[in-house]
Amino acid sequence: MYILQALDIHKSFKKTEVLKGITLQLAKGEVLAIIGPSGSGKSTLLRCLNRLETIDSGVIEIDGEIMVRNDPKGRAVYSSEKDIARIRRKMGMVFQNFNLFPHKSVLENLMLAPMLVQRLDAVQAKERALVLLEKVGLSDKVNNYPFELSGGQQQRVAIARALAMNPDIMCFDEPTSALDPELTGEVLNVMKDLAADKMTMIVVTHEIGFAREVADRVIFMDDGLIVEQGTAEDVLLNPQHERTKTFLSTVLMAR
Amino acid sequence: MEYILSLLPTMLGGTVVTLKLFAFTLVMALPIGVVFAIARLSSLRFLNYFMQFYIWVFRGTPLLLQLLFIYYGLGIVGIKIDRFTAAVLSFVLNYSAYLAEIYRAGIQSIDRGQSEAADVLGLTRFQTMTRIILPQMFKRVLPPISNEVINLIKDTALVYAIGMSELLRVAKTASVRDFSFIPFFTAALFYLLMIGLVQQFFKWLEAKYDYYR
Repeated sequence: MYILQALDIHKSFKKTEVLKGITLQLAKGEVLAIIGPSGSGKSTLLRCLNRLETIDSGVIEIDGEIMVRNDPKGRAVYSSEKDIARIRRKMGMVFQNFNLFPHKSVLENLMLAPMLVQRLDAVQAKERALVLLEKVGLSDKVNNYPFELSGGQQQRVAIARALAMNPDIMCFDEPTSALDPELTGEVLNVMKDLAADKMTMIVVTHEIGFAREVADRVIFMDDGLIVEQGTAEDVLLNPQHERTKTFLSTVLMAR
Repeated sequence: MEYILSLLPTMLGGTVVTLKLFAFTLVMALPIGVVFAIARLSSLRFLNYFMQFYIWVFRGTPLLLQLLFIYYGLGIVGIKIDRFTAAVLSFVLNYSAYLAEIYRAGIQSIDRGQSEAADVLGLTRFQTMTRIILPQMFKRVLPPISNEVINLIKDTALVYAIGMSELLRVAKTASVRDFSFIPFFTAALFYLLMIGLVQQFFKWLEAKYDYYR
C-alpha cells in the first residue's frame, strides 16, 4: 500500500518540458532521496506533488485520495479545492530558503497554522510547539525572531513548523543548500531523527552522504526523467547508468 | 505678536477644517487603498483592468479638477452634495489611487516563498493575505505612505476652490484685509507644525516595526 503515487507526470514551463513522464511510489515510513543535477526537474517534481506547481498531465494520489488525474483527452484535472486542501494537509514542506515568517517569533511561527487551520486553541498550539522546538533543539529560542537565528537554526524551526501540522509525509526541497557548510550537520541530524521515527520523507538533496546513510531508496533524475532508482547502495555505490556515474563523480569530487 | 494672537481664532478655525478633511480622507483612503491594491493584483481580469483604468483616471487628472467636477460639475447635472462631502469624496477617490499603487508595490515586494509557506501550511488565501503578506507589506510601505500623508495635509489647501475656509484661505483673507504678510507666515508655521507631528508619528511607527527584519 503506497501513501503516495505519481503516474506519468508531465509539466512544462512555457515551452520547456521540465518533467517528461515521472512515475514514482512511496511507501509509508519510507525515506526517498531525489538527486540529480540542477535543472533536472527534481525540485519541480517535489513542488508538483503538493501542488505548488500544477501539472499538465498525470495522476497524483495521496493516502488513497486522488488529487489530480487525467481527463479522457489526457489533460490533468484537479479535484475540488476543498479536497485538495484536505489532501495537502497530509504533507509538510521544508524549503531551501526556510521561508519563516519574519514578523512572527519562533513560537508564533509554529502556532499560526495549527490555530488557523486546525482550530487548536492557543494553549494546545503552544504545548505542541514547545514539544517540537525541544525536538529540534531550539527550546532556548522560543521568543526569538527568525532574523536573530543562524541559517541552520532557521531551517530547524521551519522543520518544526511543518511538523506542527502533523503531516504524514514530509517534503524537503534542498533543505541544506542555502546553508554554510558547517551548519548543514545540525539540520541533517534533525532529519535523521525524523527518519528514525519512521516519518515518511521525500528529500530533494545534494547531500550524497546523507542520502546514503538515511534514504531507503534513491532516485536519480536528469533532464526531466528518472534515469535510475533503487536502494541507496545500488544507486550511489553501484550506479548502472553513465549519467549517474558522471553526476556522482562530479558531486563527490567537489567535496 | 499681538497681531498674530488676534489672527489665531480664525486661523485655528481654518486648521480645524483642514484637519477634519485630512482625518476623514485618511481613515477612508488608507483601507480602501489596500482593497484597491488587492483588486489591482486580482487574477479576475475585469477587476484588474477596472483598477488600472481607475488608477489611470485619478492619477492622470489634477486633484483640483476632480474636486471642481464633483462639487460644481455634478451640481450642474442635479447631484447636489455639500462642500465638505464633495471635498472628502474627491480626496478619498484620488488618494486611494495613489495609495493602491504604493500598497501594490509593497505586496509584490514580499518574497513569493512567504505565500508558498503559508499555502503548504494550509492557510487560505485570505488568511495568507491578512496574516502574512499585509503585515509585512505595511512595514515596507511606511516611508512612501508618510510622503502621501504629508502631501495630503498640503493638498487640503485646494478646497479653497470650492469656497471652504481652510487654513490657507483664512490666511489669504486676513492678508488682503490687513495688508500684511504675517498671516501667510503664521499659516506656514501651522503647516510645519502639523507636518512635523506627522513625521514624528511615522518615525515612531517605523521604530515600532523595527522588531524584525
